[in-house]
Amino acid sequence: MKLPKYPLASNSKLSTFEFISEGDKGLIIKLIQFQKTNLADVYNLAFGDKDPDSGAIDDKVVSNNGDGEKVLATVVSSVYAFTDRYPKRWIYATGSTKSRTRLYRMGISKYIEEIKRDFDILGEINGEWEEFKAGIDYDGFLAKRKGKLKPNNSD
Amino acid sequence: MKLTTKLKKRKTPIVRVDKSLNQLNDQVLFPEKLEKANRNLNKIGLPKQWLKDKSAD
Repeated sequence: MKLPKYPLASNSKLSTFEFISEGDKGLIIKLIQFQKTNLADVYNLAFGDKDPDSGAIDDKVVSNNGDGEKVLATVVSSVYAFTDRYPKRWIYATGSTKSRTRLYRMGISKYIEEIKRDFDILGEINGEWEEFKAGIDYDGFLAKRKGKLKPNNSD
Repeated sequence: MKLTTKLKKRKTPIVRVDKSLNQLNDQVLFPEKLEKANRNLNKIGLPKQWLKDKSAD
């Protein structure tokens, strides 16, 4: 996506990323983590705000920093970085609330044609996986990187 | 193509490795989200349409 994005910093494994959102409410530190799930090679994408003083993480806060699109584009770019390093890992994502899941769905729908060039993407609905279609109220999403990238699944 | 144009067009970002973030390696930063993901994935399982590709890896 040719959208503005924030610069990303990460740990050496490229599993945790940090960036700073800059908007109406000032600077907000954001953290993204690709979390190992109970299913082999499936990682959960989670992100939220970090309190700079306490270091506490909040994934339910609505920042309203006026840069939602840039934040989502930055999160998507972290998915590129993670799946570049680990092309065989699948990414699961769902929102912490229904409305946040809907927000993700709208973000994916908006750029679905571009996303599909690099990823296969499924939506979770009524306990089934189906190919992602715009306008359907999915409970979660699963993405895998397309292409013949050299696998490197070691940490 | 100029290097700056190339950099702007690339989808994979240039990521600065910050070793101070390595202290988070073994920490689950969003435990509720992981719990929800595991619950959902346990219920729905992996997509049949992709498992064929996976077993061929």
